[in-house]
Amino acid sequence: MRELRELAVRLLETSDVQVVIGWEESRRGVRPAFAQTPAEAERLVFDQRCVHNLAAYLHPRRKHIRGLGRPAVVVKGCDARAVAGLIRDNQLRREDVVLIGVRCPGVWAENKAEGQPGNRRWAERCVSCPQRTPTLCDYLIGEDSPEPSGGPGLEAQVERIQALPMAERWAFWSSAFERCVRCYACREICPLCFCERCLADKSMPQWIESSPHRRGNLAWHLARALHLAGRCVGCGECERACPAGIPLSILNARLQQSVRERFEFVVSDDPVAPSPIGEFRVDDGQEFIR
Amino acid sequence: MSLYQPHLMTIEAIQDETPDTRTLRLTFRDPALADSFSFKAGQFGEYSVFGAGECTFCIASPPTRRGYIECSFKAVGKVTRALRELEVGEIVGFRGPYGNAFPVDDWSGRRVLFVAGGIGLAPVRCVLWNVLDLRDRFDEVTLVYGARTVADLVYKRELAEWRDRPDVRLVTTVDPGGEEPGWDGEVGFVPAVLERAAPTGENAVAVVCGPPIMIKHTLPVLGRLGFPPDRIFTTLENRMKCGVGKCGRCNVGPVYVCKDGPVFTAAELAALPAEY
Amino acid sequence: MRVISDADLRGLAADLLAAGSTVWGPARVPGSPRPGVEYRPLREAAELDLGAGLPFLPLKQVFLPPTEPLFWWERKGTEVRLVPPAPPNRRVVVIGARPCDAAGADAMDRVMGWDYRDELWFARRDAATVVTVACERPADEACFCSDVGLGPSHPRGSDLLLIPHPGGYAVEEVTAKGRELVAAFPHRFREDEQVTPGETAAAGPPRIDLAGVQRWLADHFEDETWNEVALRCHGCGACASVCPACHCFDIVDEPDSLLAGTRRRNWDSCQTSRFTVHASGHNPREGQHARVRQRVVHKFQVFPRRFGRLLCTGCGRCTRACPAGQDLFEILTLVSERALETS
Ligand SMILES: Cc1cc2nc3c(=O)[nH]c(=O)nc-3n(C[C@H](O)[C@H](O)[C@H](O)COP(=O)(O)OP(=O)(O)OC[C@H]3O[C@@H](n4cnc5c(N)ncnc54)[C@H](O)[C@@H]3O)c2cc1C
Ligand code: SF4
Ligand code: SF4
Ligand code: SF4
Ligand code: SF4
Ligand code: FES
Repeated sequence: MRELRELAVRLLETSDVQVVIGWEESRRGVRPAFAQTPAEAERLVFDQRCVHNLAAYLHPRRKHIRGLGRPAVVVKGCDARAVAGLIRDNQLRREDVVLIGVRCPGVWAENKAEGQPGNRRWAERCVSCPQRTPTLCDYLIGEDSPEPSGGPGLEAQVERIQALPMAERWAFWSSAFERCVRCYACREICPLCFCERCLADKSMPQWIESSPHRRGNLAWHLARALHLAGRCVGCGECERACPAGIPLSILNARLQQSVRERFEFVVSDDPVAPSPIGEFRVDDGQEFIR
Repeated sequence: MSLYQPHLMTIEAIQDETPDTRTLRLTFRDPALADSFSFKAGQFGEYSVFGAGECTFCIASPPTRRGYIECSFKAVGKVTRALRELEVGEIVGFRGPYGNAFPVDDWSGRRVLFVAGGIGLAPVRCVLWNVLDLRDRFDEVTLVYGARTVADLVYKRELAEWRDRPDVRLVTTVDPGGEEPGWDGEVGFVPAVLERAAPTGENAVAVVCGPPIMIKHTLPVLGRLGFPPDRIFTTLENRMKCGVGKCGRCNVGPVYVCKDGPVFTAAELAALPAEY
Repeated sequence: MRVISDADLRGLAADLLAAGSTVWGPARVPGSPRPGVEYRPLREAAELDLGAGLPFLPLKQVFLPPTEPLFWWERKGTEVRLVPPAPPNRRVVVIGARPCDAAGADAMDRVMGWDYRDELWFARRDAATVVTVACERPADEACFCSDVGLGPSHPRGSDLLLIPHPGGYAVEEVTAKGRELVAAFPHRFREDEQVTPGETAAAGPPRIDLAGVQRWLADHFEDETWNEVALRCHGCGACASVCPACHCFDIVDEPDSLLAGTRRRNWDSCQTSRFTVHASGHNPREGQHARVRQRVVHKFQVFPRRFGRLLCTGCGRCTRACPAGQDLFEILTLVSERALETS
């Protein structure tokens, strides 16, 4: 904590950084904080409760954050992968942000339902996290900690669903999608959903019906998942934001598995790694592209 | 029948006003409704194209002409473009009339000044004809109307008719660069042209409709001409869905534009937050 | 006082289902990554789960579904025919509503009924009997019902109010509809002299000065506070989805073919940037601060002034749902403090 606060204060006082985006303590746990003065930087915290992916505040649609000036952002492994995604997709220039990497211990699953903390368990994504310590960063703070283990990981969840017979798998997903109310909270909070105008909001023609019924929801969920194939960093924010309790992380993880198998691509925090969606290759193995 | 189910109307006539603006004359399919339907100048409706959706337009014909209504619209999005595809004889939906109205009855004996920009002439046309159809109740009637270019002037035939009437003073203008050979109107932006035309605010009311930027610069001019804020009327065009005070879309601070508006005086506007 | 046992309450649900009523109540959601319950139409009484806390999504879905058809249209030649939706089941009973949810529907009644009456809403409201279970205590620190003039056992919006006591509930008959339900299933209820009304779940003293909040909101439309609290907000709209009193909706057309289609209304939220944008691209509520302000000012100042009710029942759902840690009670506390400073 000292290390984080000292660094934040130093950045605000001595460099071209106008805001440090991190976490602060609040009445109900920790939450995103925007420290614009050294005094505010003294309130920053980092621990296993810091689930939020702060890279979401960096994309161009967050005009109110861009208005604050040049940011420094505290990033965990998954957050750094999101920042890399933004840079890779030309939504952010590397030099426009200062990255404070933290050696991530993994975070607790957030229990948003009534009654709060109680049984602490690792967030599923952290149990199978590919890289907890970011390499894409200007500073690296914190200490190494043992790998989060125990409790079900996301991979295990994917395997469980994949093992079901087709009909049951379909039943699982259709009952999940049926609950969707189409608030698009999953999209708004996703650090990689940065489109100025989402396909789902286009009305001429209307590709995706906006009503939360079977047909509209299926179209939306297919589109969302496919648009994030090869880009989703597995931070689980969409699932956390979803008011309807839809296990979006399982779907995302399954898609990233496919991308890994088909394109030998793993989402990393290397901002210049060519991505399966963003790259055009004349010798592409898939026919449709030629 | 629920609040949201529209009446069916037939497109009786189509008039192209400008390359992207069109006027439709609509009649009710239900003869009983055709007889009983009435509205006041300034009110609006929700017009449907089945399959595309609904959009909000003012009723552009005057309440003094019964048996039909007219709307004039600009093709800007999903519904308006679909509406433009329809032909005479096809069916559209209509819900309304909704909202408040211009207090035309209170204007007896007064001068009436109309200031309009672009398609803002649509709501103005409704009150203007309302006033002209009851001409002897009012003092001088003046219309100052401007558009970007000559081609963008709407209701050209009616402009010619008003020009020829001795009991109407008409001033038309186009933005600098918008004129063409043979244009005998003014060249300049509406607020400046209005200031030069200098209609008096004495015992007068003003109706101002047009793009927000025009309204913004016109209000001070009207002040200088002696119009008090409670005798300047305008309309707000916040986005609407239900039109009946339920969907929450049209809120501006404390007002529901669909219920408390769309007509507001400049005095009322000054008290509202600028969320329009 | 009249009482009903745990077993009889479940039995009542079974009786109602057997009689063809639609019964909504809190039940587990299979496959959800979130523990807890949601209001669901019950298939069997055993699904009813009254011990698992506050449902995450609000009760308003019973009266204003996330999506509903307004009518169907079909075209034959140049003719168009409109078909209205079938009327809802005349007998709907909610068992295990929370007081904040019941009060939310009551607040929404005001806007749905002023001047124009929303028959679709009122058809469902009239058909439904709301049996509320009082909270024994606030569910967690997000709750603030007692600070907005309600409380864990407030009867507003309920037809029957059940106040828990060991083994069952004391039954408070709030409306005629509630009395009719009791009269229709007399064997499920009994009299118990030992139980006296009003001995549970008292509302705490309010922690904020509501009148001060309203005064401040009325004349601080432009204020730095809005920029401060809006920073963390993503404009995701989750808060509106979970709110038992947020009533904003969208109206859309969905063609099934060139010849037929449906007009529907869907939940919508004023927190998203696209809510107010004009066809020209002009957005009267540009910036997240304007949207956050709209939520607070509309609920706590504009709506009550016009409709005599706050548009917030203090259920805390928006706070629990917010992925960015926005906390409505904290905002109100802040406003309450600033009101004190400026008064
Ligand atoms: C009281 C009142 C009276 C009116 N009277 C008239 C009148 O007489 N004549 C007239 O022509 N108009 C009038 N209007 C305006 C008219 O209602 C709109 O122009 C019309 O509803 C547009 O409908 P549409 O379906 O064609 O556009 P839509 O397809 O709904 O068009 C645009 C919508 O798409 C979305 N959108 C568009 N661009 C963007 C973008 N860049 N980013 C994100 N989202 C975007 C937004 O949701 C926007 O609202 C009036 C409005 C009101 C409120
Ligand atoms: S996914 Fe990895 S980097 Fe992200 S919080 Fe979990 S352990 Fe940390
Ligand atoms: S957040 Fe959940 S309910 Fe909202 S659109 Fe996404 S999946 Fe659907
Ligand atoms: S849920 Fe939170 S982040 Fe989302 S719109 Fe509401 S306040 Fe903003
Ligand atoms: S605003 Fe928040 S606390 Fe108030 S009723 Fe809505 S969800 Fe509950
Ligand atoms: S348009 Fe729906 S409330 Fe005004």
